[in-house]
Amino acid sequence: MGILFSRLFYRLYICKRDIRILMVGLDAAGKTTILYKLKLGEVVSTLPTIGFNVERVDYKNISFTVWDVGGQTKIRSLWKYYFQFTQALIFVVDSSDHERIETAAEELHMMLAEDEMRDAILLVLANKQDLPKAMSTQELTDRLGLHKMRGRQWFVQGACAVQGSGLYEGLDWLSDQLSKR
Amino acid sequence: HGDHSRRRVAPIKRSTSGLSLLRCVRNYSTTLPRFEVQVEFLVVPWFLESCFDERRTKMVLKSEDGVVPDDLTPEEQKELDNIRRRKQELLDDIQRLKDEIAEVTCEIENLGSTEERKNMQRNKQVAMGRKKFNMDPKKGIHFLIENDLLKNTSEDIARFLYKGEGLNKTAIGDYLGERDDLNIQVLHAFVELHEFTDLNLVQALRQFLWSFRLPGEAQKIDRMMEAFAQRYLQCNPGVFQSTDTCYILSFAIIMLNTSLHNPNVKDKPAVERFISMNRGINGGGDLPEELLRNLYDSIKNEPFKNPEDDGNDLTHTFFNPDREGWLLKLGECEGMSLCSSRWSPGGDSE
Repeated sequence: MGILFSRLFYRLYICKRDIRILMVGLDAAGKTTILYKLKLGEVVSTLPTIGFNVERVDYKNISFTVWDVGGQTKIRSLWKYYFQFTQALIFVVDSSDHERIETAAEELHMMLAEDEMRDAILLVLANKQDLPKAMSTQELTDRLGLHKMRGRQWFVQGACAVQGSGLYEGLDWLSDQLSKR
Repeated sequence: HGDHSRRRVAPIKRSTSGLSLLRCVRNYSTTLPRFEVQVEFLVVPWFLESCFDERRTKMVLKSEDGVVPDDLTPEEQKELDNIRRRKQELLDDIQRLKDEIAEVTCEIENLGSTEERKNMQRNKQVAMGRKKFNMDPKKGIHFLIENDLLKNTSEDIARFLYKGEGLNKTAIGDYLGERDDLNIQVLHAFVELHEFTDLNLVQALRQFLWSFRLPGEAQKIDRMMEAFAQRYLQCNPGVFQSTDTCYILSFAIIMLNTSLHNPNVKDKPAVERFISMNRGINGGGDLPEELLRNLYDSIKNEPFKNPEDDGNDLTHTFFNPDREGWLLKLGECEGMSLCSSRWSPGGDSE
């Protein structure tokens, strides 16, 4: 009985892995909504700190720390210090934004080209799937050029951040991949 | 003697002659033979006669004019004094109310035409605009421009936000962070209103970040830091080699504040990491290490404060309603003794 409890305790508290995740995407892709949707139900008692949106989400024995990153190329050197220890990248794309999908693809590949991102796995959240002119996940896979990538684990998950759908499915994929490592 | 010891007799008129008076007394004593009657006469001069007309009650009424019956007990006298004082107070109150009513009536009559009414209407609309702004910044600005309360130039909008009266600082931050051309112009005009001369970079950032709530989105922070850096160098030429150096360093400071003080970030960077993070940002070269150490210490010892809000005050909501009027209570509220009136102040019932 004692052994069972200590095992449970171990699994619940000690075994929890800390994973740092960067979340990128163009303006208005839905990053902030996703961050706060994942935190839904938790009581935020203190005033948020001035600075970037950072949230910690505990899910399936993994503690995800998600940073909202972005900005011009000039400040990319700063993010590299955070890329170094990054195991996963969430790329959020507005599925209904046909005009800027090429820009989004460029942004994504520029990010992945960083040396520090070599080993990071990639989750693409195809957000705003509820909108009428939203592109399908297959179309997005093509237009983001994901098939051309070599040696990277990636997955495209359709999502609607406002309703909260697709987000935990995305985290499921991430935790499955990360626990294999 | 006995119960009737001091029975009062009606006053006797002037016309009564001395003889008939005596007769009267005698008659009185014969009707009550068993009592010894003692009669007291009060002789009243004719000019006061009207005060002693027939009945004592009447006499008391007359005494309001200053004549007091002389047979009052001290308590009665005191009570009378009290009554008189109270009466005077009431009369004064009535006069005051009359004056007030006259004043208000005069005001109401004047309202229709004067400038004052226009001003009042304008102030009310500005207050409404502020409230709208706090709920949806773009709609609020649109409302103010549409009603000629604000000029449609980036400078005027920026001044309105900089003054910030009654505005929620998170709403100001949201407006300044938008990607639209107008918003970006307003952001630049807003930064221009700040004076950073002779402040070090962190001091200037503290002042800047007090004027609105910095949004958490990286792209927005990026635009804001770029605008800030331009202005900082304008106020302090020569402090940094280029605007880019200042912009990247400002961005790094925001990252540092997040890392050191956001409870969601577990590993807190040491000063060495902050220094190496900023390597090469000075046009390929490094910034003086001492400068970076000082910046690090300043942020570590004192995080950026959440700006205090002017627009979170509930009184703004309560005293600037969208609709004004009275609510008609339709049902009876049982068991609520407080609901004695059928009308209560509030919005129009729809």
